Amino acid sequence: MTPLELTSRPARAPGVRLQLDKVTGEPVLLYPEGVLELNDTAHAILNLCNGAMTVDEIVATLAAEYEVEAEVLRADALECLGDLLQRHLIALQ
Amino acid sequence: MNFRPYALLAELTYQCPLHCPYCSNPAQYPAGTELATNEWKRVFAEAAQLGVLHLGLSGGEPLARRDLAELIGAAREAGLYSNLITSAVGLDLKRLHSLRDAGLDSIQISFQADEAELSDAIAGTNAHRRKLEAARLVTESGLPLSLNVVLHRRNIDRLAQIIALAEMLGAVRLELANVQYYGWGHLNQAQLMPTRTQVEAAASVALEAKQRLAGKTDVIYVLPDYYETRPKPCMQGWGRRYLTVNPIGNVLPCPNATSIPKLHFDNVREHPLAWIWNESAAFNAFRGTAWMPLPCRECPQREIDFGGCRCQAALLTGDDHATDPVCELAPQRHIVDEILASVETAAPSAWAPRQNP
Repeated sequence: MTPLELTSRPARAPGVRLQLDKVTGEPVLLYPEGVLELNDTAHAILNLCNGAMTVDEIVATLAAEYEVEAEVLRADALECLGDLLQRHLIALQ
Repeated sequence: MNFRPYALLAELTYQCPLHCPYCSNPAQYPAGTELATNEWKRVFAEAAQLGVLHLGLSGGEPLARRDLAELIGAAREAGLYSNLITSAVGLDLKRLHSLRDAGLDSIQISFQADEAELSDAIAGTNAHRRKLEAARLVTESGLPLSLNVVLHRRNIDRLAQIIALAEMLGAVRLELANVQYYGWGHLNQAQLMPTRTQVEAAASVALEAKQRLAGKTDVIYVLPDYYETRPKPCMQGWGRRYLTVNPIGNVLPCPNATSIPKLHFDNVREHPLAWIWNESAAFNAFRGTAWMPLPCRECPQREIDFGGCRCQAALLTGDDHATDPVCELAPQRHIVDEILASVETAAPSAWAPRQNP
């Protein structure tokens, strides 16, 4: 498996859908035989996983939007994306 | 407590080109006409409103429905994630693209074994080569491919080769499911039940593959519950997460619930899906823990395994409230032990192939 780096361009894997749960209004990730309820950070990150932006660009965008230190966000983003990659829910372009 | 369904299994038809002897369709089909296109569309919309996120399109063989692409389109419109559960017989490039373009999210193809001769003997028809071709088309189409192989006495010794097939086809998921003994499977139990030696060998092959293929193919091996000491948490609890609508529109808490003769199942032609889920007698028959007999009622596992499988209890003990006899604490575990003992000495004999209605 390709390792996750700051220059990787993550995209949702084929067959993975991001949508809002009609009952709770919360974001969920749907994939074959599974549902993942997303926290706000994961939702914000996944919204930017379009295969065009690098991890670094995603972090910079979110840092500006939420007015937090990129340093802090970077660790969270790498952990979250690493977990999603392990579960095949994202792929690296 | 209010429960919400997460997944709907839509059995679109009982028609199927295959004759697998372990089919979990009822061995005696209920009388009635198949739901029409508009009826299914309404069911999908109502299911999504209830909270359903996942839709399994099954049967029988769902490709036998000429309106399948239209149904998939309706599922997508309702916000459901749709998975086609198919034999892949009849899945050519044109059909595949029409389903994908309608919004299909994933495909699960059944294989009967790793090679044509055995596979076709199990399926009762020449299907293996067509499945291989269809699986390649699916991978090329960009849809995620899952494989499902039902394991039993006649194919379980080929598990390593079956896993190699899934790897070769690029499946993202491989479900290795031991036969569950309902419907035709119950009828053919003596011919299908593997021996303890077979089951133990298969479990170690599956475990090795699961570790080796981590990050590539998700290998799911479902242990045969007869060889376990505690029952499976069937359906994650009755009426808690799942519902099935059968071809004639009856709504079932589990696909095998017709194994329980006492239950009456309400129909989507007569009631809204929400009423059936929340209020109907069948869905409330085994919800919660109040229905449980001893030892389940006082068992620390009662919210973990929910007393096991109601259909299995009914089929094996004649009492749908009984503790699943798979449980080592069940007063009637001896029934399962007697079946297992008979498996060790059983001579091979012919099974009854699944028939269409």
